[in-house]
Amino acid sequence: MRNSLKVGKWEMKRNLKSKSFLISLFLTPLIFIFFATVPNLLMDDGGDEESGTTVYVNDSIGAYSMLESIAEEQSFLSWNLEETDQSLNEAQSTIDSEDAFIQLNEETLQNGVVSYVTGDEVSNQFMTQLQTLEQPIKQMQIQQADLNEEQMALVSSPIQFQVAEASAGSESVEMSSSPFAEDPFENGVPALFGGIVLFSIVITGMMIFQSASQEKKEKVAEIVLSSVTPNELMQGKIIGYFALGLIQVTAWMVFIIPLSLYLVDDIPIMEYLLTPQLLLFVLIAILGYLLFASLFVGLGATLEDASSGSNFQGMVMMLPFLPVVLIGPILADPNGLAAQIGTFIPFTSPAVLLIRLALIDQWPWVEIIISLAILIVSIWLFMKLAGKIFKVGILIYGKNATPQEIWKWLRA
Amino acid sequence: MESVLTVQNLQKSFKDTQVLHDISFSVQKGEIMAILGPNGAGKSTTIRNIMGIMYPDEGEVIFHNHNGNTIPRHKVGYLPEERGLYKNVKVMDILLYFAELKDYPLDKAKERALTYLKKFDLEGKENVVVDELSKGMGQKVQFIGSIIHEPELLILDEPFSGLDPLSQDVFKREIRELAENGTAILLSSHQMNLVEEMCDRLFLINKGQQVIYGKMKDVKAEYANFKCMIYGENDVQTLEAIPEVTRVEQDGDTSVLYLEPSATLPDWLSNIPKDLDVQEISVDRISLHEIFVDVALGRSIAEKEGVLDAQ
Repeated sequence: MRNSLKVGKWEMKRNLKSKSFLISLFLTPLIFIFFATVPNLLMDDGGDEESGTTVYVNDSIGAYSMLESIAEEQSFLSWNLEETDQSLNEAQSTIDSEDAFIQLNEETLQNGVVSYVTGDEVSNQFMTQLQTLEQPIKQMQIQQADLNEEQMALVSSPIQFQVAEASAGSESVEMSSSPFAEDPFENGVPALFGGIVLFSIVITGMMIFQSASQEKKEKVAEIVLSSVTPNELMQGKIIGYFALGLIQVTAWMVFIIPLSLYLVDDIPIMEYLLTPQLLLFVLIAILGYLLFASLFVGLGATLEDASSGSNFQGMVMMLPFLPVVLIGPILADPNGLAAQIGTFIPFTSPAVLLIRLALIDQWPWVEIIISLAILIVSIWLFMKLAGKIFKVGILIYGKNATPQEIWKWLRA
Repeated sequence: MESVLTVQNLQKSFKDTQVLHDISFSVQKGEIMAILGPNGAGKSTTIRNIMGIMYPDEGEVIFHNHNGNTIPRHKVGYLPEERGLYKNVKVMDILLYFAELKDYPLDKAKERALTYLKKFDLEGKENVVVDELSKGMGQKVQFIGSIIHEPELLILDEPFSGLDPLSQDVFKREIRELAENGTAILLSSHQMNLVEEMCDRLFLINKGQQVIYGKMKDVKAEYANFKCMIYGENDVQTLEAIPEVTRVEQDGDTSVLYLEPSATLPDWLSNIPKDLDVQEISVDRISLHEIFVDVALGRSIAEKEGVLDAQ
């Protein structure tokens, strides 16, 4: 273990002194900031025009004050309301290209039709924004219908679906109509943090691959192995690059946290971040790292020249990106089949767990525990296998190992 | 003499071919012991089995002064045949890393590194990045790396390959000095002439089998018979007729006469026919190189395969 730490320290020092690592360490967050801010700045220009959308309202049913309060509450409605006496026909002929006109009259209450006119340059979003008026107008319709309180409550309450378990004697469970969490930030912010940790250490995990392959290419392995055992060398690399990953995350956070605080100032990010959930997310990220690190370190030992790897090695390199395939189905249904399968496959489980736990309110603890158990067992297994491959592979010079050879080493 | 390393009945096979047959030898304190043999004879395989980079199928590797089955990595210095250095690091950093891996105190290592860099004509290069070194310089740094921790046993696999004659001399001088200071040295080489003058004992290996094992001077006495080179116009038949001559090689006016092992020089010289045309004459022992070539080609000496008393 002491020797592993020495190797780890060396790998860390070596990379921290290398220019390319330092450049990427600081360049990546800068690029991130660039992409986070520049489109925003560009959009702000568009936003300014939009905020100038003057909406003329011809109101003959007394809904204007309600409209005003909605426009104030919903920050995304960048409307400047103004009452007008113009009729729809007049508005059609006189409206400015950046303005809009809404007509609320008896027809609105009776038939539920809101006529509106927009200028040429009013964005398409205006239609979507109009939808926010649906609920209040419905409310007014109901009031008009002279219903008593009870009837009104009945009409306006949403439909709930109740499921009764098929098995005998079980209690009926009330499901909320959506599995999604009430407050998306409560789990989302820590999960995002965990995601960043996972992403950056998987990236550094790929550096392990290069490092092992380079060790072979530069033929230092045999000299180093006269001082430490192959397992110590391998563990040392995993430890060293883990530390590098953490350094990278720290560097990113130094940039990202102040930036995100600045960009979204109405969400208390720090409060959301520093929660007990964060510990689980970071644990998942670290387990994910260990799995891929052991995979890559073994793989790196089979390749002298990373660019000439066969399809086999290329496929293994793609494994960390497997969860991307599952993101769609998981977003659609965080408790669905795809999500559950993803949770139990070690290569996808870290990322899938992070996504699912961020989305859902009621954490499926049984699934989480089984998934973590599978992950830990696979890490142990992969470390063993990687050790076997590494031990032989690192000392083979001048050629890349074929899958058949690797299989032979594994069985040895 | 105190043995530092003993190898007993080493056997190793790759797939179906046996590459080491029953290899046994020892290395003693303060001596230079050479494993010699043609390419593919099993030199590096033997060394890798000693270093625990491979494991023998049969046989034992014993490090004296050390208990237990593990290799005393801190007491052994190793310069492998396949060697390199991390590219983008400074010379001093990599030397200190090697020292740290051997648990050698870093301040002492730094001092030693500077001394040896100076000795190897690399003074002032300690802060140079490895990438910028020439191949020979790199090899010197690797050599320093293998002795930075004052090993009891130093194992050098083909230390001279790729070096120019000047650097070879520096390496030879350094290796000899280490041996004089008590380091046990095991080196392998296929460059006989280099090894001939410096090693105390040798182990000649061919096709994974021991061919000759013993003290250098005994081996020479046993196998390296006299050869006599005569410059002058002479008939092959006349030369072959001289008593105690086993073989004659002629190239133009130069003839080389190989003598029987039993020949004693003063007697033999007095028996040279008086009518021989002798412009120049020199008598010498057959060099290790020639023994080696004979062995590698499976000629006469190989038939007389034998073991000398190693003590």
